[in-house]
Amino acid sequence: MLKMSQMTMLKPLCIALSFSVAVSCGKKETETSTDEPHKVETTAASAPKPAPHEPAFPRTAFEKGPDATHPGAEAFRLECAMCHRGFSTGVIMLERRLDKDSAILEQRTDLTVDYIRAVVRNGLVNMPAFSKVELTDEELDEIAAFLTRNNEEAE
Amino acid sequence: MQTTIDEIAPVSDGALERFRGVIGAQWVLSSVDDRRSYHDPYAFDGGPEHEASAILAPQSVEEIQAIIRIANEEKTPLWPVGRGKNLGYGAAAPVLRNSLILDLSRMNRILEVDEKSAHCLLEPGVGFFDLYDHLQANNIPLWMSVPGNSWGSVIGNALDRGIGYTPYGDHCDMLCGLEVVLPDGDVIRTGMGAMDNASTWQHYRHGYGPGWEQMFVQSSLGVVTKGGLWLQPEPEMTAKTEIRFPKFEDAEWAVDVLADLRRRDIIQHNIVFGSPIRAATVLSQRADWYEGEGAIPDAVCEEIMAKFNLGWWTGKINVQGHAEIVEASMKIIRAAIEPRLGKEVDFEVWRKGDPISKSARGVPTTIGLQAVNWYGGRGGHIGFAPVMPSKGAEALAFARKMKAIYDEVGQDYYTTFTIGRRHINNVNLLLYDRDDVEMVARVKSLFTRLVDVARAEGYAEYRGHIDFMDMIADTYDFNDHALRRLNDKVKKTLDPNNIIAPGRNGISPYHPRKEGAE
Repeated sequence: MLKMSQMTMLKPLCIALSFSVAVSCGKKETETSTDEPHKVETTAASAPKPAPHEPAFPRTAFEKGPDATHPGAEAFRLECAMCHRGFSTGVIMLERRLDKDSAILEQRTDLTVDYIRAVVRNGLVNMPAFSKVELTDEELDEIAAFLTRNNEEAE
Repeated sequence: MQTTIDEIAPVSDGALERFRGVIGAQWVLSSVDDRRSYHDPYAFDGGPEHEASAILAPQSVEEIQAIIRIANEEKTPLWPVGRGKNLGYGAAAPVLRNSLILDLSRMNRILEVDEKSAHCLLEPGVGFFDLYDHLQANNIPLWMSVPGNSWGSVIGNALDRGIGYTPYGDHCDMLCGLEVVLPDGDVIRTGMGAMDNASTWQHYRHGYGPGWEQMFVQSSLGVVTKGGLWLQPEPEMTAKTEIRFPKFEDAEWAVDVLADLRRRDIIQHNIVFGSPIRAATVLSQRADWYEGEGAIPDAVCEEIMAKFNLGWWTGKINVQGHAEIVEASMKIIRAAIEPRLGKEVDFEVWRKGDPISKSARGVPTTIGLQAVNWYGGRGGHIGFAPVMPSKGAEALAFARKMKAIYDEVGQDYYTTFTIGRRHINNVNLLLYDRDDVEMVARVKSLFTRLVDVARAEGYAEYRGHIDFMDMIADTYDFNDHALRRLNDKVKKTLDPNNIIAPGRNGISPYHPRKEGAE
């Protein structure tokens, strides 16, 4: 059984969790979504309502995203979106560690090129490192340029 | 019993120079950072025990042939990987330190998709996301099965006998035709592909005479450079459901009923049937529920089940095909399960034209990797996956035994029984925080113990992590390990310099234990 102190700690995490589920439910309206064995369907009674300001970002790796003509947009879709879009592991982990807005890399305004390079090459917590075969320095720079396009202070 | 290391010298500068001459300097990686980027991200020790001394990334069959010739001359073993995402089994890392990783991820062409006959021909670098993307972008009405972690290679996963949860989910069984570079540099094609310009390479698996395809599965006898794979014609209708079995002991009747439906092909796919921790690892972290000592208590598991609407066992079923058949199958499934379950089984139905999210189509995902965040910190998991008969009493007895061991050791019991016609792949994830030294030690000894417990029941693993390949091979011990003697004989004959994947699946004359074995 949970102690009271733990219940208090549980609260913010439940909020983060409910957002994950909301993403999952909202995604059903789109053309594609993950249907995988780990996903838990929520009943109508327990399903939280979708967040009112749910961002209009694609929820799967199989859709064009924002600024799709940017040279790095397609590389992001192919190399990053499998975890960093929609109800997926990168988004969920970032939601837990930061907040739900920061969890969607394509809308971040605070990323820098050096930071992205460091995370991709070294990995971060549960994100594995990417080798120079999987992602060449040129491709990585394109992705970094894409993810920093909305940060005026980025290099 | 674990594979000893330090048996292979690091690759020489001279050999690296020769490899650069063949594939270009950009595709020979040997810096400290590059080698580290190929560590198993879930490695118990952080990775050094299985570090490659360099990585070679060729882009053609000819380049692979040239690499293999040099490897033979320089006696530098190669560890081939498709995309290197075999997470839970070692990822890209070789069994033996200082092997060279042969990274085939640049060979990522989808060579053919035959819409009418429903098959494709792929290079090993093609990932599940790539193939799905191709099918969708080109409006090709073919579906594919995907594994829980779909980040990896389609062919690589089939070659490690990976599994999915829709029809065509026995990925290895869907292979039809391989092209392989042998350890002497020769190139062969299996099955009908042995004929030049064959019209039926991806249509008929067996060819003429002995079939060699399985020789290259979980194997160290060649480098697979092309693989044919059967795909599923898009069905007219699908229906899917999750069935929650409320009590732990429900496993007995549930497995019997589900396996019977599977054997009769009413259910056309292997059925994932998992413990509540499995779902909880995707939707929450352990600390959300419990921060006490020992394994998560049953009472807390019940809270998880109530919160996420789970049973002690949650099984996922889908039916696909023509509408009449799907409708009839739903009726049969309901009749088989509802009387015992005591409640209705509701299906979500998809018909052609509906949003794909309503369908039972396999869509690539990486969500399963979320499980490594269960304990917090830098997470990891290894798979312990014995094969057992798809019989209820045996499954329940084994689940009880396993859970008691997990409880005793203090790890949370994450299990799935993937129920086939006559077998179960009992895939257990042993989760850990890599930075928790005690937990890592606990998980390693737990794994060893589980191998022994399974062995005592007559069960052995279908697939194994690089740290435990020898240990698992040891359990295949009929006639004083006759299989190992055969494997080693074949290996020595085809690969006398032992340059392809030494140590893979416990086959390796490098191993000191095997010196003079025969």
